[in-house]
Amino acid sequence: MTEYSRMAKGFFTSTGGAQIINLPFQPDFVEMWNYTEMATPADHGIPRAVWDKNFVEVVSGSPVNPTLVDIFNATPVLTTGRVLANGISTFSGGLLLQYGPIYQHTASTDFSITAANPAVVTTTTAHGLTSGDVVIFSNLYQTSTTGMEQIAGIPFTVTVTSTTQFSIPWDASGSNYTAFDTATSTGNVGSFKKVLYPYLYFPGVSWISGITLGTTTTIDTTCAHNYVVGQEVAFRVPNTWGPYQLNSLPNTLIPGSPIYGYVIAVTDYNTFVVNIDSSTYSAFVANQTFAGFVGRTFPQVVAVGDVNTGGVQISANSALYPPPYYSPIGTTRVNTINGPAIQGAYVNNTAQGFIIGAGNAKVGAAAVDTSSVLVGTDGDVIFWRAFLHDMSLPR
Amino acid sequence: MRDYIVSAASQINAGGGSNGDNPTNLAPSDFSLVATTLDTNNAYKFMTGIEGMDRFGTAPVRSAYFMLSSTELQTDMDGLVGSGFINQWNYPSNSSGLPNEFGSIFNIRVLTSSEAPVARGVSANGQDVYYNTVLGKQAITHVTQDGDSMKLLYRGPEFSGMLMQNATLAVRFSQAQALTQDTAIRNLMSTRLSSLGGP
Repeated sequence: MTEYSRMAKGFFTSTGGAQIINLPFQPDFVEMWNYTEMATPADHGIPRAVWDKNFVEVVSGSPVNPTLVDIFNATPVLTTGRVLANGISTFSGGLLLQYGPIYQHTASTDFSITAANPAVVTTTTAHGLTSGDVVIFSNLYQTSTTGMEQIAGIPFTVTVTSTTQFSIPWDASGSNYTAFDTATSTGNVGSFKKVLYPYLYFPGVSWISGITLGTTTTIDTTCAHNYVVGQEVAFRVPNTWGPYQLNSLPNTLIPGSPIYGYVIAVTDYNTFVVNIDSSTYSAFVANQTFAGFVGRTFPQVVAVGDVNTGGVQISANSALYPPPYYSPIGTTRVNTINGPAIQGAYVNNTAQGFIIGAGNAKVGAAAVDTSSVLVGTDGDVIFWRAFLHDMSLPR
Repeated sequence: MRDYIVSAASQINAGGGSNGDNPTNLAPSDFSLVATTLDTNNAYKFMTGIEGMDRFGTAPVRSAYFMLSSTELQTDMDGLVGSGFINQWNYPSNSSGLPNEFGSIFNIRVLTSSEAPVARGVSANGQDVYYNTVLGKQAITHVTQDGDSMKLLYRGPEFSGMLMQNATLAVRFSQAQALTQDTAIRNLMSTRLSSLGGP
């Protein structure tokens, strides 16, 4: 009865960081062999690991899904252990609007946001985020009339500065913002959560955090815009945010014809320059009133067309090669699983598969061995097999 | 296509509602604003109007854009009856009503589906945010390949396995979707006023 089971195998060279394996299915069982560790046994090495979606171990009262491992001790001989965090896991990036767990006030957790530029978030326990992740805030009422509710509902890319601190690209230094802290807010309200798959389709709509006016116009966004040079863009800037003159309609020169801008430079993941002369436009206003947050539409920029490459030949190192990528932070490029495409075209980045994490092993009741890394060290060659069974007993 | 539009189309936060959130719940002024925006953008309407008739309880229906909303907003829309919302049953003629059509308000005819996009718990006040997608006729399209777009496939058990235990049911797509005119599409973001009260 395995008519519909799926199997896949492969190998990769480890970078020492978590390795994403894209597959046409979401496995329920994965095993891996680290050829390098097998060939050269050494203390802390993990030559073999296995993961099943039904593995469960209760840690601090909460169930976790561990990865079971063989691990070399100092002798070195093999013993057994498990990776309780950042082991093997699966993912299914097929639907937008999926969010991670809420971080909020509890008996052991709180977080604060500074009224500064950029705003800095400090958590009392590890936030678990990495730079490039996207978060969204809610209920930022320090009191009923003060706080940072103006930015609640906007997705922000985080830049992680420590395990308990990250910044968001927003100027909250204005007089209308009050520093926020869930430990002292009325009713201890306030929360944030991670947007799990912010770039399944791109480029799309982005929220504007700043606009520098001039003969060309520089746009800062709250999360990655994923535009490329030559991209055609349009603006939706409500009057309260300032430079409404950028808006695509109405076009006073050609009635009924939208005004579009072209991206002439991409500085990094959240900054780009368009060819619109905005020298005489109204200044951007990030210092929005707290009281006016109800029903306030955020300033946005949207991609309106593809880049016309003029028929560039698709080959290694050409403009259309490698596949389309997104840039979650800085100038980092993350390739999608798609083949070559027109630059700037909308990309379907949906994917599923599994991740071999960089978690550490734990042997018995001993402390976690921070020198043992599941995905090995840079240069290790790792083979893997993944299965999706159509029969699993009892479930 | 649903997530594609959510990702790519610009948004207008409902601001006319009374629940003190961002976005607010839907109010007549929000529908009016979106329709006005699309009109200004020279979007094409899908439907011509329905002329009024001498029938008790009915009202004429304007030419309209289509909006896809969640079924969870139906109670809120029922609350707008008397403020411009016309239930589909109160159209002068139901001949042009679609099976999923819930009603119309100003220049928008509302279709509801449980599959309409909802972002759970991400409004300013931590409530569910609904993506009410309003489309002009030229906003999106799909491209077929060799005249084939979508096909429902069924192979009975006699053709699917030697022991005739399993049948095969599948859908094959050979089409691509595209946004053709961004200015003719808006996501009207809203929260909800009424409690769902459980399943």
